[in-house]
Amino acid sequence: MEFGSIEREIFVEAAPDIVFDVVSSPDHLKQWWPDDARYEPTPGSTGELVFGRGEDGGAAVPFTVVEARPPRMFSFRWTHPADEAAREGNSLLVTFDLTPSGGGTLLRMTETGFREMGWGAAVLEQQFQEHVHGWDFFLPRLAPYVATLEVSP
Amino acid sequence: MSAAVAEKVDDDLWSAIGDPTRRRMLDLLLVEGEGTATTLGQQLPVTRQAVAKHLGVLDRVGLVRATPVGRERRYRVDDAQLARAVAQLSSVGSAWDARLQRIKRIAEAIQRTQQDSQQH
Repeated sequence: MEFGSIEREIFVEAAPDIVFDVVSSPDHLKQWWPDDARYEPTPGSTGELVFGRGEDGGAAVPFTVVEARPPRMFSFRWTHPADEAAREGNSLLVTFDLTPSGGGTLLRMTETGFREMGWGAAVLEQQFQEHVHGWDFFLPRLAPYVATLEVSP
Repeated sequence: MSAAVAEKVDDDLWSAIGDPTRRRMLDLLLVEGEGTATTLGQQLPVTRQAVAKHLGVLDRVGLVRATPVGRERRYRVDDAQLARAVAQLSSVGSAWDARLQRIKRIAEAIQRTQQDSQQH
């Protein structure tokens, strides 16, 4: 296993152009990930993902589209400091690769940059295992709490 | 902040919340709003000294803030740093499993809707 990245693959019974739309458009993104997503799904576009809701608008995390090649590939960087351009070393890179397969789509996701961001590989792996249990009970309590915060990470 | 310092902060932040006792302490502080090594120690199966040491770790990475009260220090969770930690955690692997399942469900629902409308 490569510790510096997360890789996942899933078969979707839908055409690649539909899957591409779901992984790239902000309207769809907020249905499967953040509470809100503000960006244009075009290369170089910058915006933000918003986690949590509340009167103050939740916690915003910077988001930059790297590549968009419908219906085959969509990639973006996130978690870079709000006042810096996204690049290797200051953000995580998420890439979706779509391959037509038997009437559906094989969707491959990789997220890299953990090592570059300085999260030691072994530490990350070990803590990831611990987090799965610890945060199962912790996160549900945090979500409403974080929603009340005014933060720009 | 230099890259080296940022790296140190992130490593330490991950270490700080990687410990189950410290997560439990954060949880108690969130529920109760604030606490001291004494009040937290009464609710955890560890000594007051151990609690004080854990609070020191959380303090160093900015997850809690201390105010001196008499001979003790009263701790509160630092909202900004906690939100940052949560945002970082949400990027890790298990979260992607859930996200991909949702992507699959949404895309397949759209596909079915399109097929239905073609048939009618």
